[in-house]
Amino acid sequence: MFGSIKIAIVLIMLAGAGGGFVYVKGLKADLATSEANNLKLEQSVESQKAVIEQQANDFKAILVANQELEKTNKTLAAEFAALDKRFNKINGRGEVRDLGDLAVKRTKPIERVINNATKKAMRCVEIAMGAELTEKEKTATKKSEINSECPSIANPSYVPYD
Amino acid sequence: MYHMIKNTILILLLAVVVSGCSSVKELKIFETEVPREPLNLPHPEAANMEPLQWVIITSENAEEVFAKLKEQGKDPVLFGLSDKDYEFLSKNFAQIRAYMIKQRQVIDQYKDYYENEDNKTE
Repeated sequence: MFGSIKIAIVLIMLAGAGGGFVYVKGLKADLATSEANNLKLEQSVESQKAVIEQQANDFKAILVANQELEKTNKTLAAEFAALDKRFNKINGRGEVRDLGDLAVKRTKPIERVINNATKKAMRCVEIAMGAELTEKEKTATKKSEINSECPSIANPSYVPYD
Repeated sequence: MYHMIKNTILILLLAVVVSGCSSVKELKIFETEVPREPLNLPHPEAANMEPLQWVIITSENAEEVFAKLKEQGKDPVLFGLSDKDYEFLSKNFAQIRAYMIKQRQVIDQYKDYYENEDNKTE
């Protein structure tokens, strides 16, 4: 009888020790999992930061690109307005310039003007297609030196003045 | 007979022990992002424009103009535009040019945005 109780106590103690061992082992495993999870979360936060930074850079780049396009649009619109003004300029008597009438009265000079303007316009197309600027075009700063058809792309050193 | 059985059992035991040492290792699959190759197409070469010569004809100089054409060995014919049409042609030309400039800028911006590595933080 007494022997059986002893055995039972020993068995209970062994079972308790075994249970404790399993419990501690489980805790250790949970701890390891938690540490791994923490590491993953930290890495995730870092990568999220990088994504946010990339997005901010992208927004800036898009903004700059739009601003540059807007600037080009304005410059080209101004050049187109200048062309329109050349055809429809109001003279001292308040009349709109009549190119046909001018050509009848001063045929040769107008022919020369038109041919010069056409030559310049052709050069503008070449530049728009990516042709290299000549040194003369690059350094032109005076109205008499520039390509009046498209100074914005043909003469980078030219600053418009009245 | 006894030896043969003993040897067979020993060989079988050895085979089991040796095969027990080897284990199938866990297959690890990892992904590596391979960036897409940049398109990097060059802009088309700029063309050289042919020179054009405008001739203004009025009722007064018509004969002189055609005589000059004959003198130069050219056919006595001209393709005409009125002053207003000349204005429209000039403006159309300016608009085409402006479109080309904008288009080129857009292409450059796209190229810079998608193919320039400097603006990427990773």
